[in-house]
Amino acid sequence: MHKLRDAPGYSEEGLRLELERFTGKRKVYVLGLGNTDRADDGAGTIVAEALKKRFPRFSFSEQDGIEGVALDISERGEAAVVIFVDAADMGAAPGTIRVIPSNRIRDTEITTHRVAVALMRALLEKGGNTALVIGIQPTVIEFRGKLSDSVRDAIGTLTDILAEILARAD
Amino acid sequence: MKELNVEALARVEGDGGITVTLDGKKVKNVTLDVHEGPRLIEQLVRGLTPADDLNVIPRICAICTLSHRYSAIRGLEKALGIVPPEKAQLTRELMMLGENVESNSLHTFLLALPDFLGYPSAVAMLNDYGDDVKRALRLKKFGNHVMAVTSGRIVHGENPILGGFGRYPSRKELEEIKLKAHELVPDAVRDVELFASLDYPKYSEADMVFMSVNAPKKQYGFAGESILISNGKEVNVEDYRKLTNERVVSHSFAKRSLYQDKTFTVGANARLVNMGKRLDGQAADLFKQHFDERWLKNPLMNNLAQAIEMLWSLEHIPDMVDTVASLDNPPIEKPTRQNGSGTGAVEAPRGTLYHHYDIKDGLIDAADIITPTAQNLDDIEKHMKLTAERMLAEDKDDEEVRLGLEMVARAYDPCISCATHLVTLKRV
Repeated sequence: MHKLRDAPGYSEEGLRLELERFTGKRKVYVLGLGNTDRADDGAGTIVAEALKKRFPRFSFSEQDGIEGVALDISERGEAAVVIFVDAADMGAAPGTIRVIPSNRIRDTEITTHRVAVALMRALLEKGGNTALVIGIQPTVIEFRGKLSDSVRDAIGTLTDILAEILARAD
Repeated sequence: MKELNVEALARVEGDGGITVTLDGKKVKNVTLDVHEGPRLIEQLVRGLTPADDLNVIPRICAICTLSHRYSAIRGLEKALGIVPPEKAQLTRELMMLGENVESNSLHTFLLALPDFLGYPSAVAMLNDYGDDVKRALRLKKFGNHVMAVTSGRIVHGENPILGGFGRYPSRKELEEIKLKAHELVPDAVRDVELFASLDYPKYSEADMVFMSVNAPKKQYGFAGESILISNGKEVNVEDYRKLTNERVVSHSFAKRSLYQDKTFTVGANARLVNMGKRLDGQAADLFKQHFDERWLKNPLMNNLAQAIEMLWSLEHIPDMVDTVASLDNPPIEKPTRQNGSGTGAVEAPRGTLYHHYDIKDGLIDAADIITPTAQNLDDIEKHMKLTAERMLAEDKDDEEVRLGLEMVARAYDPCISCATHLVTLKRV
């Protein structure tokens, strides 16, 4: 079992169970965020792109125009679970994976080319969906930097867990 | 002394802040501080081939990715003696229309509008203005789609290349774009009506100088070979340094620009002041209806200008699609020389963007990139200082002053990442 770093009691199994509890038998979408030109910042995009190969209708990344995807899901009335994955500075050890509490997501965040996660989340929830954000603690976010080993490991771990969740829901 | 801070300017792209230094009610200084670290891209591309440059340059910014690519292509093609085929030129114009819709919809509705309606963010607007937020997202999605179809991807598409396109959009893709653009025009008209109905505070008003490209054939557009100045002058883009006169300041990583020792404005309001009479369709009617003296003095009018321009882009897309679809896919034009210089100037959504290149033996010897936000920074500071002075003279409290300053800064749709959050009030 992969013990997630610097997160007492937060194991790979614990994360899997938490996500299973969230998703139940509902339809699940993964929306991966982040800029792959900035090393670890692109972690969410890399996770979603990897999942897209197996689950093309349920996994989307920045390259798909993420707010358009969120808008479409919000209008489907599926009562789905939407999991955002993004690099997030949680003050934890590099590679730490956590579900981020909704009160820690800024309303006014704006990244280089899309609307705030908080807006997409609010829009989805207004449409009867449940949304949650999983953060991966980055360490290298320099322009043209190289993905760090710890975040590379975390990407692999989270991709495996989410693949299981998507396979159950598909 | 008191200092009023907006340490992290929300709802702008990149990392910046505003510091206002006060002595009693007197404003001693206002600075827009750019904290975003320099990325030294102009140095990074030295020694690269022009084709490799195009893989790096758009990474300056993911909002204006296609504007950067197009401006670089225009500069490099001139340097290398490449004359692009008509279909390439028109497809590039189509991609710029898509980027304009994508960026203007994001800025007007989701970044600027909450200030005018008294909400802290678009999230807070959702309950009362849910339909408007969704309309903005539909428009942004469509803009993204046009960008993806023309350039190959939503972000950092690589189809536009020197001498043409790696792949041209198919007739089916073009037809879908045309139908969707028609469908969204009424949404854009409603957006113009909404922004025309807003109350634009007058605190920032002062005489302004506007610069934009002069689109060819006396048409409205987003690229050209000369720059129009609202004082009636016109300057060839190769002489851009005479307009921008870049300099460094101590409080910011971004360079600054002055024209004849005065600040100037680039952006949608500048384009409409300089080329608004060239608009057609409903955009022209609405521009005539709403254009007045305020546009020449008040930077907040850039929000309405962006809404009108977004409508024009949507109305223009079907005609552009028809013309592109009527032309056969041409071969890629090759360089005719290995040494030369050239400057590209395009209108990114937030203003004029210059890319200049010197090519030596087929490789990049020097590059110079001047972004719209870098040109606007001095102008933003000028109008923020006036705003602070006038609001404090009316005994507005610190929170009101903060919001007033942020509204001015946001009106310019600044991209601080490109130029290299937000207000600090200092009292002495």
